Order: sequence, then structure tokens, then C-alpha cells
Amino acid sequence: MTEFIQTLVLSLLVGGIYALVASGLTLIFGVMRVINIAHGAFLILGAFIAYTWWNQLGLDPLVGVVITTPIVFGLGWLIYRLLVRPIRHAPMSSTVLLTFGLALVTEGVMGVIWGNDSTSINPSYVDQSFHVGGVFLPKAQVYGGALAVVVLVVLWLILTKTWLGRAIRAAAANPASAELVGIKVTSVAAVVFGLGLAAAGAGGAITGVLYPFLPGSHYLWIARLLAIVVLGGLGSIEGAVISAMIFGLAETVTAVYISPAWATAVPYAIVFAVLLIRPQGLLGTRLRDDAVAT
Amino acid sequence: MNATTAEESAGHRSGFDLIWVGRLIAVVAGALLLLYPVLSDNLYYQNMIILSLVFAIAASGLSIITGLAGYVSLGQGAFIGLGGYTVGILATRHPDTSVWLWVPLAGVTAAAVALILGFVALRARGPSFVIITVAFLFLVQVIAINWRSLTGGTEGLSLPIPTWSRDIANWPFYYTLVGILALQLLLTWWIRRTKLGTGLVAIREDETKAATVGINLPVEKIIAFVASSVLVGMAGGVYGYYLTFIDPRGMFNILLSVETMLALLVGGKATLWGPVLGAFIVEPLNEYANNNLGGGNTRLLLFGGLLIAIVLFLPQGVLPAVESLVNWVRTRGKAGLVGARIGTGGSLSALTERLSLVERDPAVDPPPLLEVKDLHKAFGGLKAVDGASLVVPEGSITGLIGPNGSGKTTLFNLIDHTIHADSGEIWLAGERIDRLSSWSRAHRGLGRTFQITRLFREMTVLENVVAAQRSFSWGQLGRIAVSGAEARAAEDLLEYVGMRAFRDQKARALSYGQQKLVELAQVLMLDPRLILLDEPAGGINPVLIDRMSEMIRELNSYGKTFLIVEHNMPFVLGLCDPVHVLGRGRTMASGTPAEIQKDPAVVDAYLGDDFVLESADAAAPQEASS
Repeated sequence: MTEFIQTLVLSLLVGGIYALVASGLTLIFGVMRVINIAHGAFLILGAFIAYTWWNQLGLDPLVGVVITTPIVFGLGWLIYRLLVRPIRHAPMSSTVLLTFGLALVTEGVMGVIWGNDSTSINPSYVDQSFHVGGVFLPKAQVYGGALAVVVLVVLWLILTKTWLGRAIRAAAANPASAELVGIKVTSVAAVVFGLGLAAAGAGGAITGVLYPFLPGSHYLWIARLLAIVVLGGLGSIEGAVISAMIFGLAETVTAVYISPAWATAVPYAIVFAVLLIRPQGLLGTRLRDDAVAT
Repeated sequence: MNATTAEESAGHRSGFDLIWVGRLIAVVAGALLLLYPVLSDNLYYQNMIILSLVFAIAASGLSIITGLAGYVSLGQGAFIGLGGYTVGILATRHPDTSVWLWVPLAGVTAAAVALILGFVALRARGPSFVIITVAFLFLVQVIAINWRSLTGGTEGLSLPIPTWSRDIANWPFYYTLVGILALQLLLTWWIRRTKLGTGLVAIREDETKAATVGINLPVEKIIAFVASSVLVGMAGGVYGYYLTFIDPRGMFNILLSVETMLALLVGGKATLWGPVLGAFIVEPLNEYANNNLGGGNTRLLLFGGLLIAIVLFLPQGVLPAVESLVNWVRTRGKAGLVGARIGTGGSLSALTERLSLVERDPAVDPPPLLEVKDLHKAFGGLKAVDGASLVVPEGSITGLIGPNGSGKTTLFNLIDHTIHADSGEIWLAGERIDRLSSWSRAHRGLGRTFQITRLFREMTVLENVVAAQRSFSWGQLGRIAVSGAEARAAEDLLEYVGMRAFRDQKARALSYGQQKLVELAQVLMLDPRLILLDEPAGGINPVLIDRMSEMIRELNSYGKTFLIVEHNMPFVLGLCDPVHVLGRGRTMASGTPAEIQKDPAVVDAYLGDDFVLESADAAAPQEASS
């Protein structure tokens, strides 16, 4: 029973981190209909940046989120301006291929800068745990999960309580009308792309403390993230959060009770199941590609 | 496809000799490819060509599902791996049997997996499909890693070393791959010319619309899937044998898929030879990066950078870019055809093979051809169609009018299953059709045009018309579409609507009115019993409106029944009888034009108090119709 409770709590903490990163991915899709295959690569980039702060300056990697996030945000903003914006009217397949190319380039650049060996961040508390009623909770997991929730709440506040957030939601709902009421959709999109990647970067700084990583780890992450957003419904942040929790649970339970090797198959199995049974995901609405605009 | 039509249309002007230049280059390149191992025993280049051949086969296969049908797959490399593993597993279990025996089985494995994947992916479009293909690739890799008893896990499998003379070391691999490539190109070439091929392009251009012109989506997509993988599996088998060692990280590496995709994109995804050209550009680059630039990260930067560059700067690929450059040089300063006058139109009597005049006894009430009973459709809380019922008598020209937002177009969408109805019944010629797919409804005699025309933009006018499939049969899918009987029938219909001169223009280049005419010809290709026209007179000039009503009348006298949505009151009231009025998603009145005009509810909701059908030109057609 204790083991089960421990598994449950740990999977919710992991789910919180997944929720943060997946929110960024689904936000980008919701506003600009771009599937950012490079999302996992930017998560790893966030981890490497946090590693560098920690390694060179002795800065705590979790505190370093404050620095990592703006850097990745800026990168995202720039990438939108330079690469995504020119093809924003092209078919969706073009942007998928573009972001896939971006993922490969990012992987290559990280390999050149940081090398292709497994890297880990080991702050002082990495081996310590909280003991609550017989349940062991590693401090890194607890801090990381809590931090992810804080960043996620900040993101949510930006989206719901600010003018920018309203502009973003307007641009997502109807870009043409948003332009008519004075919202510059491409500027909003650039900010959204930055925000989405920043969520990945922040998540990377957190997961870097929890698991070892290397440039090639991004494939595993993008597979997981795509599975989460597909399950939640493409474009739905609430859906992504719920499905991230389910996902954290499914993965942890498989690893604990079945085998860690097969836990890596969970995302793919979920993608197939969802697209077979409920293609629009948990909270997604079916895209009305079938209706004629009048 | 483009090349062929250009050749047929304008032998005097362009295209013709360009085709021959292209064919000459292909023949010379093919001969060089065949002779190379004989002429040179440079193993470095032989290896490079062998790998290029594998990617050329994979990319040519991919061009069927991605180039023609428009479904982007990042899992194409998995079929190479599946082929390799089929051969690897069988060869290590049966060391005394020739390894070549297993190569066809590699194709069977790939085809079987493609079939399953095709069924899984049927409901996925656009981004979901890409995600499925990536998930598929990774899933196969995880299985190959974890199913150790079958695959040997991460340690991989070692295949038997070839037993033939070292003098011809690579020849068997080399020539088998050349043979498979030839077969793949033949298959791709053939598919592009058939009804199946035009159907796939139609799916790429507008899948929902493709279903309404009778294209059986699941069958065509699954065939495309299997056709794009079977020979790739065989090539993967040869590739595995050639490597003599296979492991999951290598055989199911996503970079194989990336390289295949790059080969397709670089060469030109919608062309026949592009994927081959692309493979012979990308693979040597890959080899160079591997051997001279340190491999690993450089390779990633090369592939990633190339992918970004192609998407941004050369989305069409090399071959189409060359083609359009040549065409630009040739046609510079010459006027295009797009501004030409629309033909005066042919007579239907030219089509007597397909049509005959219908005699009707005015005394007998015609049976209903279409019956809609209590149809409902809500979008969230909005009830777009809320209990609509109407009858279209056989042989009639029935009108459907109503204020904006009253649910007319939604009703059309429900009738042809562009949108699925929540509840209610639809009967066509005594058969209930509301559970049938769009294409089955089209095969039963339902044709429909769209308010905002939905032609397949990148197809020519002729291809748009031949894309329609009036029935489903496996034999028909293999029929050649771009020439022969199908093309002649399409041309006759284009002649009738006055658009024959435009047959080789891309649909996107046409004006709105011209598109309406082509869409009508496309629907007529279905040989429908009932034609739904959504605002046939909307947004076109008065001459064309007259021509449109003339054609509707003539088609009607040849047995076609019409249901027409239109806001142009003189047009509707002059042409249609009976007329149904839709308001707030339900039928509020039905009757003859005269009755409708006097109905107080209709006048109040739609026509307005001051509505008078004035002027003689409106009165004249009214007399003619009664």
C-alpha cells in the first residue's frame, strides 16, 4: 500500500512537469496550428543551459529556471520571426518538416557544444528525501514538481488575466477577426512560440535534475509530449494538463509493476489507442475542416 | 502527370522536346547505373550507389503516399527496417537456405504492416497522421529492442556472409536493387496515370470534397499505403543482407526516414523522377559528411539544415523548379489562356451515349427522388438544422430558399455527408442513405456543387473532371485516367459547359465563374440522378447566369433532377417548382413559386413586404417553366 501511495505521489509530481512542457506544445498548436517537433530538443537545451549555470557558476539549477526560461523564450521568439513566419500560410506538413529539421539542428548543435555523452546535474539535495508517514519522496522530485506547478500557474495567469493572454486566445479562436480588432497576429504568434518553448526550457531545467540526459534524448521526449497532447486533444491546455497526469501515472505504474523497458512503449500505445478510439482526444474539439466558410 | 498533359495539349508550343530531353537524361543515367560495376571496381562508389538505390526506392514509394495523397509520413524508414529484420530473422534461423529467398517475404511483411497501419491511421488527417507515423516507427523500434528472443535485442543479428565470388562482391546487391527500383518506378508511374492516382491527388487537395465525387477514401488510402511500402520492404531486406549486421538503433533509426523524406523533397515530391534524383543527391552528401566532416553531429546539422532550407526556399524541389524555369523562359511575353472567353458551350445531344431525353406524363405525380425526414444537426448549442423535412420529386428542379443562416448549406452538407447528421432520415430513390459514406451516396446518384467552389486546385481542369468516380470497382481504380475513354468523356462534358479550351489549366488559375462551370462538369461526370447546386448563380456575371439556367433546364429535360439553393429570386422562382423555404433550420413553407410569393410567413421572414418579381426577363422564364 505504501509503495502504491509512493508511486501515485511520484507520478503526480512527474505529471506536473509533463503538464508544463506539454502545455507549451499544445499552446503553440492551438494558436498557429504548428506541431513543434523541436519541442523535445528545446527541453534538452533547457537542461543543458541549467547544467552550464550549475557547473560553471554553482547556481542551483532549479533557481536557474529564472535565467533559463527567458533565454529559451528569446530563442523561440527569434525562431518564429526567422523560420516559421515566412511559411505560416503553407500547409501544415511544411511546418512539421521545418520544426523536425530544427530539432535535428538543435540536437547537432548541442552535441557540438556539450558532447554526446550522458550528462546529469547533481545539486546537493539530489540524494536526499522527505519522509512522510513511511513514504519516501526524493527532494529533487518534490522541488521540481512544485516548481513546474508554479511555472504552469504563471503561464495560466498570463493566458487568462492579461491583455496579452486575451490577444492570444483571440488569435487562436479566429486569426482574421483578431486582426480586425487590432491584434497583430504575427506578433502574438511570435510571443506564443517563445512562451511555448520557454515552457519546454523550464521543464528541461527541472527534468535535468531528475534524469540524466544527452542531445539524442529529445526523441524520447517528443514522443511522450506528442502522446500527451494527442490524448488531451490538440490545442487544449486543460486537456494537456489532465492527460499529462494520466500519463505520468501510466508510465510510472508500467515501470514499477511491469518493466521499465516497456514503459518507453506507453506513449506510442497511447497515441494509437487515442487516434483509433477518439481522434479528437479528451478535451479537443474536432477541427471543422469539413465545413465551408460562409 | 503534368508532363503528359503538357505534351498532349501543346505539341506546337512547349513541353514536347523538354520531355524528350528529360527522357534522354533518364536513359543515359540508367545506362551508366547499369554499367558502373562493370566499368569500375571502386567499392567506395559502389557502396554509395547501393545506399542511394535503397533511398531512391524508399523515396519513390513515399512519393505515393506523401507526394500524391499528401500524407506526410516520417515512418517510411521503418519499412526498410522491417524488411531487413524479416530477412535477418529468417536467414539466421535457416542458415542452409539462400538468403535471397526471403527478400520477397520482406516485401510481404512490409505490406502487411502497412495494411494494419493504414487501418489505424484511416481517421487521422494532417498533424495526427504525422504523429502516428512517428509513433509507429518508435514503437517498432521498442519492440525490436525488447523482443529479444526474436530479434536478438540491442545486440542485433548477424546475417550469413555472401558465398559468391569476391570478384563480383557487390554485384548481386547492386543489380537486385536496380531491379527493385525499376519495379518501384513502374508502380509509381502506373499509379499516377490511373483513376487511383487522380483519386489520391484529389485526396491531397481536398479530402472531404474528394469523397463527394465518389472517391472511396479508405480503400484508396490503404492501397496507397501498401503500394508505398511493399517494394521498400524488399529493398530493406537486400539492404540488411548487404550490411550483414542489423540492430534496432540502425535499422529503425529515424534518420533513415529523414533521409528518405529529404530525397523526396529535394527531388520534387510530386514528380516521378524527383525522388530518385533526390536520393542520389542526399546520400552522397550524407557519405561525405560521415567520412570527411566527422559524421555524428555534422550529419544532424546537414540533414536538419537541408530540411529547413528546402521547406523555406525550395518547397517544390529541384525538378519542378527546373521545369518552371524552362517554361518561364519559353512563355515569356506570351499571353496566357486564363483570360480567354468561355466557350459558348456544346449541346447535350453530343453526349447521347450517356444521356437521353426523358418523356414525362404531366398528369402523373412523379415519385419522390430525395426525401429528407426530420433532420437535425447542432454545432454545440447552435441548432443549424432543426427538424428539416423536404421532398424532391423525380424530374423536378426544386428550389431551396431562406434567409442567411437558415441552414441551407448545412442541409446540403448533411445530405451528401460532408457533415454527419445528429438524427433524421435521408432517402434517395427509395433507399435510405443517411448511414452511407459520401462516396456511396455519390455512387447512388447524388452529385453536389459547393457554394464556394471546391475544385482540386493543383489539378488541371481535365484532371478535376476525370477524378470523379461514378461507381466503385477494383478494376476501375486501375483504369488509365489521363487519356483514353475517361479523358474523352471528361472532355465532352467540358465542351458542354464551355470550358474545353481550359482543359490543361490548373484549377487555381481559373476565375470564380469558370470554377463553377468546371465543378458542374465534374459533378456531371458522376452521371448523377440528383444534382444539388449551392448558389449556382452567386457571384457570376449575368450572361453566365442565363447560360447556367439554360444548362439546368436542358439537363433536366434529359432526366436530371435538381435541388438548388439560391438567393437570386428571379433565378429561383423562374426555374424551380416546387420551392421549399427554410427558416431557423426547419422547413417553413413549400409550394409552387406563386404560392411561396404569397405566403405571409415567407414574405415576413425572407422576401419582405416590398418583394415584387418585376420585369419581363423574370416573367419570361417563369412561363417557359410552367
